[in-house]
Amino acid sequence: MAPRWKWKGAEAKALGEPISKSVSELQLALAKTESLGSLSSCNVLLAVDTEQAELIDRCCFGRLVLSADKVKKWIQLTFEEAFFLLYNLKCIKISLPGRYLEDEVADTWLYMKSKRPNFPMFFKAYSHLRSKNWVLRSGLQYGVDFVAYRHHPSLVHSEYSVLVQSSDSDRLRVWSDIHCAVRLSGSVAKTLLTLYVNGNFKEEDLNLPVCLEKYTVEEQTISRWSPELSREDDTKISKPTVSHLKTV
Amino acid sequence: MEEKDWEASSSSENETGFALDDDEEFHSGGSGPRVGSSKARWIAELGMAEVEVKRGKLWTTTGIIRSGKTYCFIEEALYLSEIGELQILGNEDDIVIPLKDLYEKIAEEKSGCCWENYEVYKYLKGLGYILGRHGVSWTSKDAAITTPSGEQESVCTGECPEDKDDTVTKLLGDMHISDARSVFDVYLPNSRFKKSSPGEPSFVACFSGDSPPSKEDIKVLQKRIAAPLMFCHIAQGRASFFSFSSIDLPVLP
Repeated sequence: MAPRWKWKGAEAKALGEPISKSVSELQLALAKTESLGSLSSCNVLLAVDTEQAELIDRCCFGRLVLSADKVKKWIQLTFEEAFFLLYNLKCIKISLPGRYLEDEVADTWLYMKSKRPNFPMFFKAYSHLRSKNWVLRSGLQYGVDFVAYRHHPSLVHSEYSVLVQSSDSDRLRVWSDIHCAVRLSGSVAKTLLTLYVNGNFKEEDLNLPVCLEKYTVEEQTISRWSPELSREDDTKISKPTVSHLKTV
Repeated sequence: MEEKDWEASSSSENETGFALDDDEEFHSGGSGPRVGSSKARWIAELGMAEVEVKRGKLWTTTGIIRSGKTYCFIEEALYLSEIGELQILGNEDDIVIPLKDLYEKIAEEKSGCCWENYEVYKYLKGLGYILGRHGVSWTSKDAAITTPSGEQESVCTGECPEDKDDTVTKLLGDMHISDARSVFDVYLPNSRFKKSSPGEPSFVACFSGDSPPSKEDIKVLQKRIAAPLMFCHIAQGRASFFSFSSIDLPVLP
């Protein structure tokens, strides 16, 4: 499916402001003030100034928490987003209230993994696409793990609904799972994309985020083909019309 | 809601199951074979029928040619019988084999086609697509059909003529590797289709059985087959086709 831009000048605007450029600017802005994220059991809260908030929004990380605070803006980041800023972009620091983090990166990783056992697999998938400058947001409202945008959601509709799989996971194991996921995706005009994260997730090494380097991600789309729609009817053999057949 | 869904079912009435000739009348397959339908003789050792009388243009897209003779597989024979275009005669005599016996032949799965495969065959044929067994050439001037134990090609098992030498080993090897099977080459409806030069199929219909194909199954098949793969799932008379494609999302600016 071709990207669906939301309004007439959207594509041009996107071309003029590549995501990679916005991400670099965000990286600098956050590093400059040594921004500190506060880790909790399900997210990371980051206090930023107005300029940083604008950049974070442009790169599509996190959710703005509406508050009466006039000085600071509060951004709620998912584990994946926060760890990406910490580990890949190296532009924030993390603190865990009430605990001293000896090795910030390793300890954050351990903590996040303890709260969400699937976190390593999900993070590998997240960082795989984010590193290619795709924008990833939660896909829960579409029954998937993530949705992938070519640029900012205000400019373009998401193209892919993303499911994360590993060799251990039991997703899409029966045909009705496939039917369900593909149908859902199709009904919201997205292509179903599965990301297979290859690697052994039970190893001891998982305690270090460096293990991520060893894992690979394979991308695969699953789509349903409709034979009724695909015929190039150049035949002279008369056939009964099947106009009453449903499209998928 | 489900009752109204019959239109989308792949096994809807025979009205949708035709490849009609220009000068033939439209009729329901249930009313029995018309005067002058084609005739073929079932040859048990081959698991195929040898066509003896051809009527209609449908033979341009059905059956394989060996040494000038046309043979058809059980799915082709059954489909044409169902729509009243073909009468299959017994090996020993000229008694028409009833549909019941043909259905049994499919159920026995001794002729290289199971019921699942047949559902897909029937569904796509009814929409005008052209189907041939994967790995079996449409026409071959030199090879004659012999029994599977003979030295010539063994078409029933769908072995590729190219790897004649180690086909048995290859088949066994494949059986261990994956449950997914490539079954039919599918071509888009084409009035100019020629068995002598069919071109590349639009896709190869594959079956992975009760579960969706694993990533490994798909890789193994795609390595051997250049054409796109389409995995078929039949349930409650509905045929669905899914493609699983490896991609690499581009790095965006």
